[in-house]
Amino acid sequence: MTQLIKIGWLFPNMFNLHGDRGNILAIKAEAQRRGYAVEIEQINLDSEAFNPMDFDFLFCPPGEMEHFKPVVEFLEHHKDELIAYIEEHPMLVTGTTVSLFGKLIHRDDNSTIEGLGILSLETTENHSVYGDDIYYSCQYNGKEMEIIGSQIQMMDLEINEESPFGRLKYGYGNTGKTKYEGAISGKGIFTNTLGPILVCNPWLTEEIINLIEVNKGWTAFEAHRDNSLELMSLKTKTALIEKKETRLVKLSER
Amino acid sequence: MKFYLALWFAKLMGIAIKLVSRGRGTNLPGEKALSIDPSFVKHFKNIDYSKVVFITGTNGKSSTTNLVTHILKENGKKIVSNLEGANLLSGIATILAKEASLTGKLKADYYIFETDERYLPLIYAQLPAENMLITNLQKDQVQRNGDPDFIIRKLKEVINPKMTLILNNEEPRSRFFEEIARRSIYYSVSRHDESFTKGNDYPTQACPKCHHDMSFDYYNVDSIGAFHCEHCGFASKTNPEYEVTDINFSDRTFKLKGVVFHMPYDLPFMFYNYAGALAVCEEICGIVPVAAAKAFENFKNIGGRFEVLKYNNKTIKYMRIKQENPDTLQSALNIMASDSNEKMVALGLYVVNDFVPHYINTFYAFDCDFKPLIDSNVEKYLCFSEHVSYDTANRLIYEGVSKDDITIMDSDDIKEIFAEIDRAETDNIYLITWISTFEKMKKFIEGGQN
Repeated sequence: MTQLIKIGWLFPNMFNLHGDRGNILAIKAEAQRRGYAVEIEQINLDSEAFNPMDFDFLFCPPGEMEHFKPVVEFLEHHKDELIAYIEEHPMLVTGTTVSLFGKLIHRDDNSTIEGLGILSLETTENHSVYGDDIYYSCQYNGKEMEIIGSQIQMMDLEINEESPFGRLKYGYGNTGKTKYEGAISGKGIFTNTLGPILVCNPWLTEEIINLIEVNKGWTAFEAHRDNSLELMSLKTKTALIEKKETRLVKLSER
Repeated sequence: MKFYLALWFAKLMGIAIKLVSRGRGTNLPGEKALSIDPSFVKHFKNIDYSKVVFITGTNGKSSTTNLVTHILKENGKKIVSNLEGANLLSGIATILAKEASLTGKLKADYYIFETDERYLPLIYAQLPAENMLITNLQKDQVQRNGDPDFIIRKLKEVINPKMTLILNNEEPRSRFFEEIARRSIYYSVSRHDESFTKGNDYPTQACPKCHHDMSFDYYNVDSIGAFHCEHCGFASKTNPEYEVTDINFSDRTFKLKGVVFHMPYDLPFMFYNYAGALAVCEEICGIVPVAAAKAFENFKNIGGRFEVLKYNNKTIKYMRIKQENPDTLQSALNIMASDSNEKMVALGLYVVNDFVPHYINTFYAFDCDFKPLIDSNVEKYLCFSEHVSYDTANRLIYEGVSKDDITIMDSDDIKEIFAEIDRAETDNIYLITWISTFEKMKKFIEGGQN
């Protein structure tokens, strides 16, 4: 019998800023390498029967804040299901959209947007954009790893009592003033990291699939992926980080 | 008095710079003048704002500005324009200082300015143009702009009910502004042989009017094509006033309002520039298409994105893309894909180094469809550049190219790049990289080292 992994891609057309479909390609490729069939469903404002629990993995890409209100209205009906979902199931939320899962978004024009309140985050839109590389260590599904990517930061993210997803080795992270990057709640990753993160860091992608295998009661797939290309990429990127000029506050001073 | 001091200073500085280095100084005199008189541009005399046209947007500003200016000049009009692409307030200040009399008086039939969309509010505050052409509003320069809505908000500060807008009929974000303007004129390109579609795993965008998903029937250029929103009915118009039709790639001709035009460049993204330029020329400047057609015969675009080099017995076709901009990369991919001859593809995507901090961004490549290129008879791939070569190769691998078919070179050494080109059996070489590496390669060839 075919072993099927179902992926829910939240608002792909509305939230489509930074080559985010790469994350879908990465998770699909890793699942297929392990011999699983993959079904991808796009969820949009017109989806009538969205139930997070129907999926093994949910991905919500970054989007323009202009579109946040209708999405909050849509997801509000599924808030409790999403809270339950991330307790056990992997979910990845990237970039600006992280704020949507928090409590309140303060916009640059002094208006506010009420988030879903799934996490106790608060975000403040910045007057200008900050773009840079980001490099940090983190733990997911019990595995320590290093993550490399890029960050286009349009808002500062106060994680309050939430746990940070990563500890910065380089980069702006949540506010440019702390060593924290993103937040993690249960199995839900809420990160500023673009790249796409799952393409540049296949070790994270592997852990997501490992977790799906556990959730589905499948036997763990033994053969590891050949990550040599991505490891070389990591090496050249960290070499750039080490030598480049930066105006960030040093991590030792945060 | 401050204005006169600033004007004379800018004029002298402009002359001095020209003596030292021709072609330079498109910003500096204006920059200095604005530091003497912060309202410098506002103080010029005799500018009729109904004769001022701003050309703004993500892609195509320079080409459209160049073409409008060329058509008008060929039709005997006196034009003031920032042709060298200095599109900030300081660039406009420089050209106005150069063209004005010693008392700050200007005498021109029309003022055609390419304007950086991000700095539009600053420019408009001193030069309230009554006409604006928006080429398109796309994902671009994310390190500066974040997302298209960031730019839309900048434009909202400027666009007002007094304005006439010339809008790209097939670009939803620009079309959004039709609700604000006094008058909107639409330019368009009909479906042609190089129009394309993308699979439904390539996202589109949200409707700017109702937030629901937008559908594209086809694309003429990435993210631009016949669109509709099933939820609210917002759609590209079926009868735009200025539509490029009957595009004939072999004859290099197209039609607009029944007039046959020679195509100086048969590249799909240029077709919108043609249509937009013709709309400005007729609607704002009274030059009808039949009068404009003659000017197409001898139009040469300044600073184009394509160049051809001869190296040994090989032809290197260089395409300059804008980093962080999927649309220009997609156009380059489509051009390569449309060539069914055997080819080598050398991709040198690079670190984004516009300002500090430099950073690595290759994610925009995941918005682009590489499949038609991969299916188009590629003999070999070369992915080069010190920090980005592995990511570039990975993008190809995710599209189905075998890792073994890609030469990865984490270096920008042009001798190594040429060595790889030498190893190719084909003489048909496509090259995408940043201008600096290309210039070095050009110099290498021109130095007779081939």
